[in-house]
Amino acid sequence: MSTASPDTTAEPEGGEELKRTITGRLLFFYTLGDVLGSGIYVLVGLVAAAVGGAFWIAFALGVSVAAITGSAYAELVTKYPRAAGASLYVNKAFGSRPLTFLITVSFLAASMAASGSLAVGFASYFDTLWSGPPALLVSLVFVALLVIVNFIGITESVVMNMLMTFVEVGGLIIVLIIGIVVIFQGDADFGVLTHIDTSGEFSSPALAILAGISFSFFAMTGFENTANVAEETVDPYKAFPRSLVGGMIVAGLVYVLVSMAAALTVPTETLASSDAALLEVVKADVLPISVDFMTTLFSVIALIAITNTTLVTIVTQPRVLYGMAKEDVVPAVFAKVHPVRRSPWVGLIFSGAVVGALLVIGTLVTEAGGGIDLVGRLATVTVVLLLAIYALVIVACLKLRGQDEDGPFFRANTPLLFVGLVGNLAILYFTIYDDPHSLIWCAGLLGVGLVLFLAEYFFGSRDRSNAVEPGTAVADKEL
Amino acid sequence: MHVIVATDGSKQSLAAARHLKSFADPLKITTVSVVAVIRPYAAVAFADDLTPRKAPKADLESLSFRDAADSATKVVAGVFEGWGPKVQIRIRSGSPATEIIKAAKQADAGLVVVAAGSRGLSDTVLLGSTAQRVQHSAPCPVLVVRPAPRKPKRK
Repeated sequence: MSTASPDTTAEPEGGEELKRTITGRLLFFYTLGDVLGSGIYVLVGLVAAAVGGAFWIAFALGVSVAAITGSAYAELVTKYPRAAGASLYVNKAFGSRPLTFLITVSFLAASMAASGSLAVGFASYFDTLWSGPPALLVSLVFVALLVIVNFIGITESVVMNMLMTFVEVGGLIIVLIIGIVVIFQGDADFGVLTHIDTSGEFSSPALAILAGISFSFFAMTGFENTANVAEETVDPYKAFPRSLVGGMIVAGLVYVLVSMAAALTVPTETLASSDAALLEVVKADVLPISVDFMTTLFSVIALIAITNTTLVTIVTQPRVLYGMAKEDVVPAVFAKVHPVRRSPWVGLIFSGAVVGALLVIGTLVTEAGGGIDLVGRLATVTVVLLLAIYALVIVACLKLRGQDEDGPFFRANTPLLFVGLVGNLAILYFTIYDDPHSLIWCAGLLGVGLVLFLAEYFFGSRDRSNAVEPGTAVADKEL
Repeated sequence: MHVIVATDGSKQSLAAARHLKSFADPLKITTVSVVAVIRPYAAVAFADDLTPRKAPKADLESLSFRDAADSATKVVAGVFEGWGPKVQIRIRSGSPATEIIKAAKQADAGLVVVAAGSRGLSDTVLLGSTAQRVQHSAPCPVLVVRPAPRKPKRK
């Protein structure tokens, strides 16, 4: 199936009519921006606590599994360049509506949990700039603002996305420079980089590293959102493998170097106990610039990075709901777009409300002595759901071999795909084993999807018959 | 004269196209280009409110923003069928205002027709609608077709 061909043959005279704007380079920055913002700023502390000084190994292995999964996505996206992403691939491979529904809802739930985790991470960095307002309020206002910004449509600027990605990379480069300075000053103890902490919760090095991969994996997610722009990508056959897998490899390299720099600069215990761990690196006062200034600058950069990634997740949720409403599996209101702003406002408000509810419930549980770290818990929920989806996408990729291969498409390395599949399942198994309570949260979020489905199932026939008429009614009013 | 008619898939953009046809002289117009802009980074890259839903159920295959843009432009282009001028369809992607202006420059257009604004609060409170940006930087005159007032009680 090649989607581009009908348009191409319709009007052969010029490329202008099918002008696509997402070039390989833009796609690369989109991937990098999506991946880098989620996690490294938020989760370094958790990972360092689990592994010890050698936590860069966890990032290296985690990103490898993610990059392999990315290659499966690249293969499928070149075969089916549509925005629906994982749901479409699973539907193609298994043809089971319930399974497709489950995957779509899981993806939605993962995206909501990710927004929640990022919003809490935003609040911890915000706290270093202005510690007045309570964290819950900051994260709620953050989500509300992003919903409004999304509604207005400022987020659509391609240039803005690129600038934010530059800022994101800039922040990590600051960490790298600090690490290099430490090395040149001769203060670096390279022994740290091979130190795996087996005195704590995890008795064997392998287990400690697996825990580190599991905790760091949130930082690898986000690349699946690139399917969003599949339809608008110039020459997806070339662009996707290069930009998606290339973006993941660059992100992985940055992660490994940043982890090493952080481990060399700051004692692992300090990183482990910090809410905004990378900030500790800047606070180590290595550069001949005022610590106060650097701290503020770095916090602002971290806030921008987190915002960039959260924006993409908050764009994704109403889009998934929109697609599901078009398929009649959730109520049709989610397919409504604002007549002027062209934004799916019901879906946006709904997504914002669910993320807000997650934040409120999470904070209440934490305060009631639930003893959880909200960033970590929501990140774990995201990771559990996404790992299941990733594993299934790899299976779908293998199953769809030999089908729909008439157009040019990218073929991922098969042995690597099997390695990736095993990797995803191993991390999934460990994550659930380590934190079985996260399943309750997953179930709760999937329940939201079920409620929407039931609402459509029982009341759906009403809005289905209305589906055409409200349009005409609006037309009469508008004209 | 080459006229650019922009559509965002809204009913108002169809009204704008009809408005142009209601008064313009087809003999003075050589070509009408119907332009739709897909916004790849937006939650809904293109929503088509113009094509009536034929199939009771859309499946994942048919969820294509490009197809939505394609069918919406065809509905708007249908307004000018048999009117005289040559009718073209242009689907672009990016930021709507920028792409409409680019299309106007490339076609050396003599007029750009856009729909604009709601009547409500959002128009006054929110900044920078596409129509405002187009009329600010278009290389030619711009016809902004606004919705009719809800109740015509001026006096």
